[in-house]
Amino acid sequence: MHQGCVSSTNILCMRLLMVEDEHDIQSFLQQALSEAGYTVDVAPDGRAAENFAKTNNYDILIVDLGLPDQDGITLITRLRQLGVLAPVLILSARRSVDDRVRGLEQGGDDYLTKPFALAELLARLRNLLKRNAPQGSELTKLRVQDLELDLLRREASRSGQVLQLTPQEFVLLEYLCRNAGRVVTRSMILDKVWGMRIQPDTNVVDVHIYRLRGKVDTNGQSPLIRTLRGVGYVLQDR
Amino acid sequence: MWATLAFTFGTLIVFIFLDRFVANDIQRRSDAWLSGEVEVLGDVAERTPNDALYNRVVGEVAELASREVPEKAASQQPENDSVFFIQTARDGALKLWVGAGDGESHLQAIRASQLAASRPVSIHVRGYSVPFRVASDSMGDGGRVYLGLSERDQRRVLLNLRIRFFVLWLSIVLLGFAIVFFTSRRTLSHVRNITEAASHIGESDLKLRVPTSSRNDEISQLGYTLNRMLDRIENGVNQLHTITDSLAHDLRSPLTAIRGKLETSLASHDADHAEPIVSAIEELDRLTDFLNKSLDVAEAKADALRLHPTDIDLDELLRSTIDLYEPSMNDRGIRLRLHSANPVHIVADEGLIHRMVANLFDNELKHVPSGCSVDIYLQEQEGEARLIVRDNGPGFDPEVREHLFTKAVKGRKSSGHGLGLAFVDAVVRAHAGTVAADNLASGGARILVSLPSAANQADRVHAVHAG
Repeated sequence: MHQGCVSSTNILCMRLLMVEDEHDIQSFLQQALSEAGYTVDVAPDGRAAENFAKTNNYDILIVDLGLPDQDGITLITRLRQLGVLAPVLILSARRSVDDRVRGLEQGGDDYLTKPFALAELLARLRNLLKRNAPQGSELTKLRVQDLELDLLRREASRSGQVLQLTPQEFVLLEYLCRNAGRVVTRSMILDKVWGMRIQPDTNVVDVHIYRLRGKVDTNGQSPLIRTLRGVGYVLQDR
Repeated sequence: MWATLAFTFGTLIVFIFLDRFVANDIQRRSDAWLSGEVEVLGDVAERTPNDALYNRVVGEVAELASREVPEKAASQQPENDSVFFIQTARDGALKLWVGAGDGESHLQAIRASQLAASRPVSIHVRGYSVPFRVASDSMGDGGRVYLGLSERDQRRVLLNLRIRFFVLWLSIVLLGFAIVFFTSRRTLSHVRNITEAASHIGESDLKLRVPTSSRNDEISQLGYTLNRMLDRIENGVNQLHTITDSLAHDLRSPLTAIRGKLETSLASHDADHAEPIVSAIEELDRLTDFLNKSLDVAEAKADALRLHPTDIDLDELLRSTIDLYEPSMNDRGIRLRLHSANPVHIVADEGLIHRMVANLFDNELKHVPSGCSVDIYLQEQEGEARLIVRDNGPGFDPEVREHLFTKAVKGRKSSGHGLGLAFVDAVVRAHAGTVAADNLASGGARILVSLPSAANQADRVHAVHAG
């Protein structure tokens, strides 16, 4: 069903290999990834993954570290030897990330610890694909509906009216704009805007969003920043 | 040290006994000579006719006898003053004198000592610093003969012997000290190396081992024993990791599946039915967080927290954390201030330090009432990075304060699961730092975190590698 694809930069045509042995995780991930537009093949173990990789060309891989027949890292090394160059998102149920995963991360791959938010998984996949795609010219302006961000002057305006934002609020809004129409989670915001992989017990991120919303979604305008409870936030692009 | 002292005194006592023994032997030999000679002289004196020649004959005999003195050193003096011979008449008057001087003082000394027995005794004669050993014998006519031998030569011999003993003793002791000093210094430097390496291992890396030498002595045995112990500890820690990892894995996989299914069903439901799903997801996230923190605290309590240290500027970290927390604090009416002038670098696991600092801020946010202020102080002192979090709120509950950093202790009004400060303590201790908490006299709580600064740590690592 993906044979009609011509362009290779469109997510709708991306072919993804998921190597995961847990059936429950397989099923919901397959559903979510298909809904997001990926063409998904599922391999329950390392041997099946190798066979898939030999017969098909994948744009991106999701590999669980704890496979029944071999270690995920070993599988990735073997796939690289087979000439698979696609980026890998590593799923780990281990508590801390071991050194070998760090090594892979530096090589351009990424990791995510279980349990994760779907939004975060999708965002990381997109980032990996973007890194591999040919770089277009760097944007100097972002535009979402009537919201406009000037990245050079660090200035935001809505309907032509300049918004009084702190530098941090601008960075937060920029992140939301770059992911316009897609859900971002609290931990994604903490990671990308503040550079911290933490899980605060308190609603610190929400307060930042409320404040930003107070400046962006003023009276009479249709709200741009939406809260999806239990999931995260989304800047609506239509 | 005590062994050397014992050795010193032991050899000294041996030498003193040896000296006594030799001195007694010399005395006995000279006494035997004296007794024999005085008998011979008495005989000669008795048998020689009492005429003009008498004095000369007895005198010659005495003179001859004096030349046979045992242990006699070559006499430098022309007159032989080391031997004398006296013959007294029945009334005790001097009858014959052979020796240096006139013999009066000798006779007086003999009379004063009331010498009677045939056994030789020591007698001090005026004008001589060294006593004479005098033996006597009675004659048939009621007179007596006395033969005296100065103890000077005997003493010289003894003195020579003592000097040799002393020199010998001194060289033995010095040699002993030198040997003990050098061997113990070598041994101690080995022990010091082992101690330094062991303390380094205790603080950071369980994979390291203490240095061992190829020599098969007690110190290298100690090294091997320590290393075997470290093998077992590392094994235990690895086992703990395996257990926590598999526990985490077994819990996380179903959590992942549940969360994923909830999320997908959330997308397909309308807003009216979303509420229970949303709260289920939130509960699940709290459970995950609790699981992570519990396992971290458990591992840290067992000194098994895995660290990936990098260089961190605490000043910069605090500024961005304050940036994150300030709006929430302001919303609650809490004033937040940072007092930090310079970058303070530490070498630590970035992720853990971030979470540790976030926990401190969360703690303030949850427990400090509106209208209060929170002050953060950061300074570098004596090779330590000191972070102080101070507020003017109600302070810690007295009942909680004692066990503040232990697992699952929280105030009555606290909403958390009581792992926050236990986690802070765990992370700080894994980085060889300390945490203290107290209530201020002026009201409010204070938490003091000390971590070794980057410069200090570099020094220590350098010292271990140089040692």
